[in-house]
Amino acid sequence: MNPEIRALNLQAEDSKRQWEDFLIGLGIQDFSDTEVSQLDQTLGLFSDGQLVATGSAAGNILKYVAVNHTDLESAGYFNRVVSALLTNLSQRGIFHVLVYTKPQYSLSFQRVGFQEIVHSETAAFLETGDTSISDYLAKLPHDSSGQAGAIVMNANPFTLGHRFLVEQAATQCDRVYVFVVSTNRSLFSAKERLDLVRAGTADLKNVIVVPGADYLVSYATFPAYFLSATTDKIVYQTTIDALIFKERIAPEIGIATRFLGTEPQSKTTDTYNQVLQRVLPPAVRVTVLPRKTAPDGQVISARVVRYAIKNDMIKSVQAIVPVSTYTFLNNHLEELQQRIKKGMKIDGN
Amino acid sequence: MEIKQTAIDGTLESSDIQITVSQGTAGVQIELTSDVAERFGTQIKATIAQIANDFQLENVKIKAVDQGALDCVIKARTITAIQRALQTSAEPAWEVL
Repeated sequence: MNPEIRALNLQAEDSKRQWEDFLIGLGIQDFSDTEVSQLDQTLGLFSDGQLVATGSAAGNILKYVAVNHTDLESAGYFNRVVSALLTNLSQRGIFHVLVYTKPQYSLSFQRVGFQEIVHSETAAFLETGDTSISDYLAKLPHDSSGQAGAIVMNANPFTLGHRFLVEQAATQCDRVYVFVVSTNRSLFSAKERLDLVRAGTADLKNVIVVPGADYLVSYATFPAYFLSATTDKIVYQTTIDALIFKERIAPEIGIATRFLGTEPQSKTTDTYNQVLQRVLPPAVRVTVLPRKTAPDGQVISARVVRYAIKNDMIKSVQAIVPVSTYTFLNNHLEELQQRIKKGMKIDGN
Repeated sequence: MEIKQTAIDGTLESSDIQITVSQGTAGVQIELTSDVAERFGTQIKATIAQIANDFQLENVKIKAVDQGALDCVIKARTITAIQRALQTSAEPAWEVL
């Protein structure tokens, strides 16, 4: 009998146990709530009532794809599960799909049309669909003159601390690319953050502001930036993120230096900075810049701005944000406060 | 004709082909993944290119992931994906069929 694909309901205790047992048998162990609760759909392939393959998706990222490979039909099972996931995603208008997997499974994904973006010793990162990193790279403004630098920021929202980093980099390089995180999981939307960085650096003529898309500190490359995770996990995710920057992005637009801010407050960002310093050189130099302090001696932090929004005291942060950001805060205060009331977290990044 | 949206048809199962059609900027671009690309790649691409031509598509990206599909399957999947991408699925494309 032809194996049958069914949606698995992980809310149901016995379905979930069956799914977990199957994955544990194949060496997958991480069923933390932060991971599992992100899944939008989980499919199971059943042969004679037995679960023989499964796969899930969280947004445009495939997760927990696993096949019982003792079965002769395993290649066919793999294709059926991936195919069903891609079809379901396409019905929701999602055509660009990414996957993080072990290096030994990279080839299986490549045979169903995925292309490898990078791989490390412990992980491979691939994509398929109607757009690719090549399209992204082609769209970046190219300019081969002189030395380029790069900064990656979430800028949630853009402060004078961010501005200080950009200014420092702009004096040390002929041009500076500022990559703004595109993942929409912050108080300020991706578009708002990008627009505020553009507005706040408009007078700096050698600064080019671009979106990071799915490729830099995105929910795909670096989920731990948005969800809590163990240090181990942060290290292997950030290694992939660093490799994408080093092997794909930097050579394409001639980036010689990556600038980082010192990070006294966030463990995740601090670990990321350490990984960047290990992975990027010598191809890309890493320069750590001290953070700017506010008139009161505190390090300027976007988190302080977010708390000021919540506590309805944005006047108190006027001195640490550019005029463009401050104007935006004034014009959208209620809307931002609504987002916080609806449960948007403001404590993380 | 202009591609209006990305569209997909077909599966990754044996003897099928999955076709993804999206907006392009540089003519008719066909990207093929197939275990039999070495022997049949040129022919598979020619079949797809002919249909793109019949629909008078000037700029289009077509991604084809083949699992050993026959010519008639390649044609059917390509026509369906293109019609979805053109949002003309309800109108039979007589000139192409």
